[in-house]
Amino acid sequence: MFEGIPLTWFLILATIMFFIGIYGFLIRKNLITILMSLELVLNSVNINFVAFNKLLYPEHLEGMFFTVFVVAVAAAEASVAIAIIINIYRRLDKIDVENIDEMKY
Amino acid sequence: MLIMRHELLLVAILVILLLVEIFLPEKHKHRIIPLAIILMGVVTALGFIPGPTGSLFGGMYSTSNLVLIMKNILNIGTLVIFIQSAEWLKKDENREKISEYFIVLLSSLIGMFYMISSGDFLMFYLGLELATIPVAAAAAFERFKEKSAEAGVKLIFMSALSSGILLYGISMIYGTIGTMYFQDVAPKFTGSSLQVIAFIFFFAGMAFKISLVPFHLWAADVYEGAPINVTSYLSVVSKGAAVFILMILLYTVFTKIALMWRDVVYIIAILTMTVGNLFAMRQRNIKRFLAFSSISQAGFILLGIIGQSQLGMTTVIYFVLIYLFSNLGAFGVATAISNKTGKETIDDYDGFYRTNPLLSLAMMLSLFSLAGIPPLAGFFGKFFLFTAAAKQGLFILIVIAVLNTIISLYYYLLVIKAMFLNKSDQPIAYFKSDFYTRLGLLICSAGIIIIGFASPIYEWILQLSHGLIY
Amino acid sequence: MTNYQFMFFLLSAIIIIFSILTVTTRRILRAATFLLFVLVATAGLYFMLRFNFLAAIQLTLYAGGIVVLIIFSVLLTSHISQKLEKASISKRILAAIAAIAGAVLCIITILATEFPTVTPNPPETDIHTIGQALLSTDKFGYSLPFEVISILLLAAMIGSIIIAKKRKD
Repeated sequence: MFEGIPLTWFLILATIMFFIGIYGFLIRKNLITILMSLELVLNSVNINFVAFNKLLYPEHLEGMFFTVFVVAVAAAEASVAIAIIINIYRRLDKIDVENIDEMKY
Repeated sequence: MLIMRHELLLVAILVILLLVEIFLPEKHKHRIIPLAIILMGVVTALGFIPGPTGSLFGGMYSTSNLVLIMKNILNIGTLVIFIQSAEWLKKDENREKISEYFIVLLSSLIGMFYMISSGDFLMFYLGLELATIPVAAAAAFERFKEKSAEAGVKLIFMSALSSGILLYGISMIYGTIGTMYFQDVAPKFTGSSLQVIAFIFFFAGMAFKISLVPFHLWAADVYEGAPINVTSYLSVVSKGAAVFILMILLYTVFTKIALMWRDVVYIIAILTMTVGNLFAMRQRNIKRFLAFSSISQAGFILLGIIGQSQLGMTTVIYFVLIYLFSNLGAFGVATAISNKTGKETIDDYDGFYRTNPLLSLAMMLSLFSLAGIPPLAGFFGKFFLFTAAAKQGLFILIVIAVLNTIISLYYYLLVIKAMFLNKSDQPIAYFKSDFYTRLGLLICSAGIIIIGFASPIYEWILQLSHGLIY
Repeated sequence: MTNYQFMFFLLSAIIIIFSILTVTTRRILRAATFLLFVLVATAGLYFMLRFNFLAAIQLTLYAGGIVVLIIFSVLLTSHISQKLEKASISKRILAAIAAIAGAVLCIITILATEFPTVTPNPPETDIHTIGQALLSTDKFGYSLPFEVISILLLAAMIGSIIIAKKRKD
């Protein structure tokens, strides 16, 4: 409980957001929108960590620091991904998945 | 300080290469290749010097002698790949990014080392990301080939997705246990349903990284599109490191729910072996072929992991060592051919023995070792894996594994048949490979033969695996 | 309903609605803007939980850095008026079923789990504690990850540069 808000509310919020991100990853075709879906996934996980840290284990800041590092890694990941996307665009003038062969998952 | 020597040495090379890149005049840039190879060779050699082990940073980083062996194996693999890349890097289109190539691969290796000796989930996650993000950049390295960029983008998206899934699992583990230090997490597993979900998410994330069936579909495209040296790095060093850390985590952190993960690993092992083999049979491109065969090899590795014993651990490490030499040998020949002629399909190999007998022999040696034909090292690797599984009474699994070995023998023989028996009107003409390619192949062939005959290596790993559970 | 509960509902409504819009809208620049709303609302959640430092990081790095990077690359690679192609109906339905099934499974498990109850009012996390922890080498100190992430950022930077830089002709 945090000021009348139970932990499960946070977890449910994060889970819904996580699966919205997964849904976006599965249906999107434009590479940049896929990247946005991935940001949603990572962001939802951060909510989990922070909520656990504050509501269950407040004596150490493990969850908070994990989130800090996840954000930094997400930034690095986005920079490399966008560099590759721009490279693809320079060569093909398009950044849809069909243009770079069929993506087979 | 000395406990972390493997990582610090690599960081030192990284800094040296960065400085050399800045201060070396443009026309001497190709000298970076021998410099990097020599430095990597020195580091690999230094890695074998015994030294202190233990844990640092309040348990966030820990090594044991066994972890040091794993690091040495990965060092050797990277060294061989550096040697094999030399010819490719000398090409005109790659000249301006020689040092970047080494820096990117080295930082990824540093990531793997931190991942293997991580003592909590944060270091594990950071190591994992450091091991993958630079490789994605390396996969998109050939900026003027579409397939390369495609490989890079697929690799980074799949790795981001899998780390998202993994992180969701880790967050649930943190939520139910309250800490992320492995030594504190391990005893507190109760096997509650939320922890089971957490484990499944965690395992799915790892399975993506190791490209186990059913999470393997990205691997073939990435392996085909990436430059061939990066492909061999991905399928040997990256995969080896991921297998090592998965094994360490399953044995040390998830021991309390071993009964559950054994079933999961059991099913995944069978699926991975079989599906990998069935797909490998249909491939005509040599990179895709080796990609699928390495997926199926990962299934064999899982066989050793299920054993959950000291013996299983030893055999897995031993198998990865052999797999490294065999697969790098095969990739080395494919690299040499691709560099000289640009040909990458198996049909192009028709009549290869008549024109280039030595390279064909090296390829044959590697493929036989991958297939597991005695007296080559690959046979002993598989044999020990089967023994480890047999000790646990997993006979159905062993029968399936043996059947899969026979299937794999068939398709490895197809390549050998193409090289030795098939006649071709236009075989690949004779070419002279440069010093580095020969050196790389020599190391691999020597490894395949020597490890097969030298039992002390196996005994040595077995002896060290006593002190695993830290 | 307390003020906090009201704030929570408001923020989570923003997060969920705009998350869905981010993955379904057919205008790519709008998707980026909706993503920005989601990230800012998440920062609001962090403020609510009194993780001020983290919320500031979320705003500057995520909302300020990554979203701006994404918007830049959208502007570089797409025409603003252009609409994105829709995925086929069957694909969307399958993906939706998979996502909803996964979400329902996880939520059921979360609801069935009993979490330990702890002190209702945790202490403030001030910047002093965070700085100490970030540079401490003891347990619950984070100097090693701090160094490792610097290698990661260096490698990512070099990687991005070699991919995206133009050829010197």
